[in-house]
Amino acid sequence: MRISTKLITITLGSAVLVTGLVTSLVVELKSVAIGYAHILQGPVQQAAEARRIQVNFLVQVQDWKDILLRGLNPEDLAKYTSQFHAQEAKVKADTRALANATDDGATRQSLNDFLADDEALSAKYEAAYDVYTTHNFDYKAADAIVRGMDRGPGEHLDNAVAELNAYAVSTAAAQRANSIRQLIILLAIVGGLFFVDSIVYCSVLFGVLKRLGQLKAVSDRLAVADIEGLRIDISGHDEIGAIGDSLKGVEAAIHELLAVHAH
Amino acid sequence: MGILLAKRYEEIGHEMGAVGRMKLAMLTKMTSGAAEKAEDSASNLKLIDDAILQLRKAV
Repeated sequence: MRISTKLITITLGSAVLVTGLVTSLVVELKSVAIGYAHILQGPVQQAAEARRIQVNFLVQVQDWKDILLRGLNPEDLAKYTSQFHAQEAKVKADTRALANATDDGATRQSLNDFLADDEALSAKYEAAYDVYTTHNFDYKAADAIVRGMDRGPGEHLDNAVAELNAYAVSTAAAQRANSIRQLIILLAIVGGLFFVDSIVYCSVLFGVLKRLGQLKAVSDRLAVADIEGLRIDISGHDEIGAIGDSLKGVEAAIHELLAVHAH
Repeated sequence: MGILLAKRYEEIGHEMGAVGRMKLAMLTKMTSGAAEKAEDSASNLKLIDDAILQLRKAV
């Protein structure tokens, strides 16, 4: 193979390697960005949603207390009852949506436990409401029915929030470990290819330099007509081989000239 | 031995002189001494005949 072909091949190979490395890094970067976007849109956003439901549940409990403390006339009673039911429905709907959306089994279980307890609590609220409205706004009797009953569902929500936070952290850690592993594999492959490319390049370079040295030694002797015992042993199918072959002709010509003169 | 090859060298010597022999050696990479020692093989004869033809064309 000609030296120019070898050099062009090595140069193109290096260019392909660099292009491949850059492309792979861009793809890897995009993959990491997509992975973190999934985490942000998934567990992180769901953890925020769980905290929002937690707050709304506390607002729902506060709305119930507003009914008892401030619903002493029909107008206020209707207002606070409406607020309570709206808040109650919103908490249930948001919790169901979050339970369907999450991939974490423990969180889903906690949310379903909350929904079950909240259903039971809603029945208690209805019973207490009946007592309140039918017993001349007896808030003590009504409160006695539901007192402390919100702690169970509240604990399930606390668990869901904690589990979603832990799930977000573990998902991010897994994403980070996966990105590092992929980067190491990528760098190992590209580094290996660069190593092979360097070996080939050095092999070609040293081969060319060695044969150029031989060519120069022959050329130096021919330049001073020192052809006694000169042996031109530069072969190969490249440019240096071709020059060596031409020098053999020069050497033969000098020998022939000397032989003619000797006769 | 290269009797025919050596004869070709003598012919070109008579025809073109020392310069012709030198150019023949340069083209074939074979001196007259080497030609005497080489085989009169078809490839050697073709090599030297082609070179002679080239020299004659150049004149």
